[in-house]
Amino acid sequence: MKRLFFVLFVLLALTLSACSTSSYEVEEGNTLVVGLEAAYAPYNWTTQTQNAFTVPLSGQPGAFVDGYDVVVARHIAEELGLVLEIKAIEWDGLIPALQAGQIDVIIAGMSPTSERAKTVNFSTEYYRAQQVMVVRTDSNYASATTLAGFTGAKVVAQLGTLQDDLIDQIPNVVHQTPLDSYNALTNAVLSGVADAFIAELPVAMSIVQSNSNLTFVNFAGSNGFTLSEEDVTTAVALRKRDTALLEAINGVLANISAETKDAWMLAALNRQ
Amino acid sequence: MFLDVLATLPPQSDFFGTIIYIVQSYYKIILYGLGVTILLSVVGTLGGFILAMGVTQARVVVIDAKRDRLFVKIYKAVFRQLAIIYVTVFRGTPMIVQAMIIYYGIATTGMFSWWGPLPAGLIIVTVNTTAYISEVLRGGLQAVDPGQMEAARTLGMSHRQAMRKVMWPQAIKNALPGVGNEFVVNLKDTAVLSVISVVDLFYSVRQGASATYRYYESFMIAAILYLILTYLSSKVVDYLSKRLDTTAEVNA
Repeated sequence: MKRLFFVLFVLLALTLSACSTSSYEVEEGNTLVVGLEAAYAPYNWTTQTQNAFTVPLSGQPGAFVDGYDVVVARHIAEELGLVLEIKAIEWDGLIPALQAGQIDVIIAGMSPTSERAKTVNFSTEYYRAQQVMVVRTDSNYASATTLAGFTGAKVVAQLGTLQDDLIDQIPNVVHQTPLDSYNALTNAVLSGVADAFIAELPVAMSIVQSNSNLTFVNFAGSNGFTLSEEDVTTAVALRKRDTALLEAINGVLANISAETKDAWMLAALNRQ
Repeated sequence: MFLDVLATLPPQSDFFGTIIYIVQSYYKIILYGLGVTILLSVVGTLGGFILAMGVTQARVVVIDAKRDRLFVKIYKAVFRQLAIIYVTVFRGTPMIVQAMIIYYGIATTGMFSWWGPLPAGLIIVTVNTTAYISEVLRGGLQAVDPGQMEAARTLGMSHRQAMRKVMWPQAIKNALPGVGNEFVVNLKDTAVLSVISVVDLFYSVRQGASATYRYYESFMIAAILYLILTYLSSKVVDYLSKRLDTTAEVNA
């Protein structure tokens, strides 16, 4: 019995080590497979309407994806002469899918944290966002202007995100179990299970836009969270070995002005 | 057409308006997800049923100490152990964990270019269902009176003939309600496959809320569709079980 397990283990280890190690070649006509959640408006969301901004979701007939990330992905693919393919993948599955070769890059509103950078490479930033608190309009916290104004509040954030780590900066906070999507966070605050959740400004704007019972608190200057540079930006994630693709993408991103980025984000918010 | 009634997102308080809005904006995506959920359950249950017959046969095989040659004894024993390990592993771990290991494990090897969430999901639900149906079939075999086997052997049938012509047909009839039940369970439980991004009904309604964050209304649509699916299939399973249960009519 023990020997059988040993043989099975060796077989498994052999198959796992047989994975490919060739790096992505940036050549005209190659396909660039982009992974995103398709459920993180306004960065990316799913729609069944086809228009000038949308891209079909791979393997799901009739479904399209729109959003800021899609605009950036299209721009990168166009500039590099690559054929764009977009796959919808669960947030927690994005980095495993990248490592497993199911996708070539992640363009999913992902912050380039140092923890993630141990596993994947990040491009330069393609968006910079502020962190805000989303609350009910009738909540006492709606009028808060500092982090101390949220003392004792029940605060929640998305599982495995920067926002979940930021909660502990609030004095005496009740740090609730993180949830798996912004859908769930919105529901938690609307139903009163939580007093507030932390989100990036554009995400908060889009949630408030479609939920009139919600508003957000944007802290001015040093009143808000202590953030490091890597936390307020979003970047493209790549496999460590794809250095040529990283350079090519950085080259494209360097030529997009801050004004263009803001215009793209605002347009995405309005299309949503 | 009713689909043109609402062009913009209704206010938060308008529950039914929001449901209509989501249905009209995402009906293609939701219907696709519904189709995938049905496909997963049908393929998983049928495939699982066929594979489970092999697994069950391997588990109930009798090693004849006197007549079997050494080679036959060894392979019977090996296959029995493998079948027991298979059922123990796949019944003893959650499908969500199996999905993560099998999907990413095989994707990492890069052996199959066609490997993706849907083929992976079909395989995962099939191997998982095989383990469960194998238990149902084993129960079905045990429920057949051992006297039937003795009678068949007395009439001159070999053990193999008796299994194939007497034991198995009755075991399958006994097991059919359990297999049908497994189909109903699969309709609901395949929702966990969304963890590897299989676009089933659960995943597709989440996409339906992806632009609006109207999460509650979207899941209400999912709940209604799941309920319709499971209700209808339970009725079909009940009907088929009654049709097949001819002995009950005789007894009555």
